[in-house]
Amino acid sequence: MSQEADLTLARNWFDRQGWKPFPFQEQTWKTYMKGRNGLLNAPTGSGKTFALWFPIVLEYIRNNPDYKSNHIKGLKAIWITPLKALSLEIRQSAERVNEDLGTQLTVGIRTGDTSTSERAKQKKNIPDLLITTPESLHLMLGTKGYKKVFASCQAVIVDEWHELLGTKRGVQMELGLSRLKGICTGIKIWGISATIGNLDQARQVLLGPESDAYHNSILIRANLKKKITVRSILPKVMETFPWYGHLGLHLLDSVIPIIQNSKTTLLFTNTRSQCEIWFQKLLEKYPELAGEIAMHHGSINKETRIWVEQAIRNESLRAVVCTSSLDLGVDFAPVETVIQIGGPKGVARFFQRAGRSGHRPGEESVIYFLPTHALELVEASALQKSVKRKSVEDRVPYMNSFDVLIQYLTTLAISDGFFPDEIFQEVKNTFCYQAMTKDEWHWILNFLVMGSQSLRSYDEYKKVEVDEAGRFVVTNRGIAMRHRFQIGTIVGDANITVRYKKGGYIGTIEESFIAKLMPGDIFTFAGRNLEFIQMRDMQALVQKSTKRTSKVPAWMGGRLTLSTQMSKLLREELYTASLDEKEQSIEIRALKPLFDKQFRESIVPTTEEFLIETFETSEGFHHVFYPFEGRFVHEALGSLIGYRISLLQPISFSLAFNDYGFELLSDNPIDMQQVLDNDLFTTDFLMEDLQKSINATEMARRKFRDIAVISGMVFTGYPKKGIKMKHLQSNSQLLFNVFRDYERENLLFQQSFRETFEHQLEEGRLRIAMERISNMTPKWQACSQPTPLSFPIITDRLSRERLSSEKLKDRIRKMAVKLAR
Amino acid sequence: MVKHIQLRGQTFTLHSSGVLYWKSRDMLLISDVHLGKITHFRKYGSAVPLNAIHGNFRILNAAVEKFNPKTICFLGDLFHSYKNKEWEFFESWVINTGVSCLLVSGNHDILPESLFEKLEMEVWPELVIDDFLLTHHPTERTPYFNISGHIHPAVRLKGPARQSMRLPCFFRSGEQLIMPAFGEFTGSHTLLPTPKDEVYAITPEEVIQVH
Repeated sequence: MSQEADLTLARNWFDRQGWKPFPFQEQTWKTYMKGRNGLLNAPTGSGKTFALWFPIVLEYIRNNPDYKSNHIKGLKAIWITPLKALSLEIRQSAERVNEDLGTQLTVGIRTGDTSTSERAKQKKNIPDLLITTPESLHLMLGTKGYKKVFASCQAVIVDEWHELLGTKRGVQMELGLSRLKGICTGIKIWGISATIGNLDQARQVLLGPESDAYHNSILIRANLKKKITVRSILPKVMETFPWYGHLGLHLLDSVIPIIQNSKTTLLFTNTRSQCEIWFQKLLEKYPELAGEIAMHHGSINKETRIWVEQAIRNESLRAVVCTSSLDLGVDFAPVETVIQIGGPKGVARFFQRAGRSGHRPGEESVIYFLPTHALELVEASALQKSVKRKSVEDRVPYMNSFDVLIQYLTTLAISDGFFPDEIFQEVKNTFCYQAMTKDEWHWILNFLVMGSQSLRSYDEYKKVEVDEAGRFVVTNRGIAMRHRFQIGTIVGDANITVRYKKGGYIGTIEESFIAKLMPGDIFTFAGRNLEFIQMRDMQALVQKSTKRTSKVPAWMGGRLTLSTQMSKLLREELYTASLDEKEQSIEIRALKPLFDKQFRESIVPTTEEFLIETFETSEGFHHVFYPFEGRFVHEALGSLIGYRISLLQPISFSLAFNDYGFELLSDNPIDMQQVLDNDLFTTDFLMEDLQKSINATEMARRKFRDIAVISGMVFTGYPKKGIKMKHLQSNSQLLFNVFRDYERENLLFQQSFRETFEHQLEEGRLRIAMERISNMTPKWQACSQPTPLSFPIITDRLSRERLSSEKLKDRIRKMAVKLAR
Repeated sequence: MVKHIQLRGQTFTLHSSGVLYWKSRDMLLISDVHLGKITHFRKYGSAVPLNAIHGNFRILNAAVEKFNPKTICFLGDLFHSYKNKEWEFFESWVINTGVSCLLVSGNHDILPESLFEKLEMEVWPELVIDDFLLTHHPTERTPYFNISGHIHPAVRLKGPARQSMRLPCFFRSGEQLIMPAFGEFTGSHTLLPTPKDEVYAITPEEVIQVH
């Protein structure tokens, strides 16, 4: 059969729907049918599922012309999705094609939600197309006889690859693919990604940097032209608009006309707590909206979320307040308008959200930007520019993540076992581990078998064993079982289930929030006021309450940093404050009253100036620096400068930072002239100084948490069974201290520092930022009171880091014990 | 390194390693050592650094050398879990130290008493000596002064310019003194003192009364 004949089936199917295939769809079909791999750059709602599902079916038909009467059993393709929620939609698309073409191909879903009986069925009779997550794929690799199951597989499609890239789930995916390449002959690997800055690299990571698979691959861009319009919601009176805050409730009234003039509106918030508060306040102030608006975030139970998603499709809701939980996948054609509350912090994210509206090809996307405090209007203006320039961020892939590798090798050891020489080649060909040395590999093997690098007679360590054939296996059932529960790389605070006392699941909340509650406390969750009654077996029992409350669960991980692109745009915008009005955007013009106040006390820096402000309040002496480089760089820079100052005089700081700058707060003033004279912003000895600053250790300690769980050193407990394994409970903080005191050379301990420097402190960005600053003229302003620019920073009470060069005894003398209420 | 306090007219010495020395009885009190915890974790596949095992004994030796007591009384949670190789280290430590040892047993102490008998160690659910009631769990019982462990107390300090830190401590509340946990690889729990309580924070070098 010729290639054209192959494609006729697909074209006819499109014809029957009254559609015409996009050029990118045809190109993908043809490339796939030639046996090549690739990365498809296409947005949600563009028909990407059909772009890759069709060639899988067509290839099956080509190899099995009697497909209508003769169904060849066995796995044909794996479709990986980062979100369980997306699997239903993918299945619907796939089944629709199967039915229409009469292929008899079956589609199955396997995720953490799949029941045991369903899984057993799949084991007996594997579906032709399996839709699954990276974690579930690894669970399958941890099952005896997995090679036989996967052997017939012809294709792996990794959907939303941009979401996985730049995370450890991405690394997990790389490892999974490396194994599939080894056991499935002729397998084709395809990724689907939204637009990111490093698409070429994304393809390399997916396929392996110098692999045959990579050389036999192609990048296909959908190139669907989409018009995005950004509109800022400006406060009517700038003078009373707050200088700080992150909720944005001052502009609550302004969203009402927008909601009313549009079929369906999505309101994106940055955190789950902000989402809760907005939903609550909207209903409080506009009770007539009851039944017409809903809320959607990752902690709400699945049924409710699915109901909300369905209601959006049915057009039975006017508006949904949501978080990034609605960023991905699901195609919501009826959404006409999107409102972004607070800075989205990244251009790619902003585009993606904007793209949720006007989903039909050719339609315009409209996104409103609602600032939560005055300075965010600068961000709004910067976003306008970013839309024009179409500059999007990179997703930086992880390198040498030994924790994920240790988990993966243990997974292989609990199923059929592995031979190191065979697996080393596969692992070495991945992007993540391309630079791994033989020494490091041996270290890891020793770690798995001995839990250390040398054998000692009194040691009782037990995990992986080496059998007579030289195969690495786990024979202990308890170890295998615990490992299965731990497969995955998303580590959060332990999650507590919230339930009504009388029964009824509401959702999950992080343990750290529940730990702060006393019985009788009222809090807001899932849009309801709940009274906390008690904890029982990892469940928080609650009942409804009519009392009002200000307590809203604060979820971790809600804090994002500005990307390099956004930081640059933001600086450029801010510098226009001193320009003529005609050259300013409407947002900057609206900020005039604020800038006037700023100029009265201090300045708004220009391109050439680096602003430093100092002033005293009842809290102490504030020293505020403004690099405008995003919070991660500021955290590093603040830590570094704080450390260097502490060398000049014994002093203690608390450090605060946001996307605009950082503050060093102390009970003594810093001699700022001395700081400027001593060239403290030099990049000389940058890494040495950073490592010595206490902060780097504290950050590494936090990174170590994930590493300890992923590598299996901390056991998080069996789900739903509560704490049954009490003697095995420990926390990663303790473990970190023991490593610091006794085994610093441990690769996992060192990884926590490496990740701190590469991913948290963003060493590369930091260096560039410091070089930029060293070419600027420092402008030190001694002010009599806090300035508008400083306000959002000095009022940040959450993320304070501490740094000191005073003697412990001297510090303690100045302190008082925190007393019981 | 040390801080002397008076309890019921008797002198007690608080040491920065977390031990308490009772002068008139020539007795060293040590709480929550959790020996065997590291090996227990390793046995279950968690690779806690092996060298930390010896750390516990190093600090024990230093404390014994400093006070040279007649008796050592462990206030519970001496051994973390089931018997493992660390028990053998403890056995030889007891024999080499030559100090008679007692155990007031805690919730973690599930080892059979015969093991302690072999070492001539007495095991008690609680002990009354003079005016003092020694227990693992904090216990209020008139007319005694209670010395206990179990809680692993720590205290949070706050200072000017939003400074803050957390330190393990000896915690005195009325007729009770709760001792800090001694062992490596043990955590702590922050207590909020009332105005009447006394708190002695321990740092690597010192014992400092902070409240």
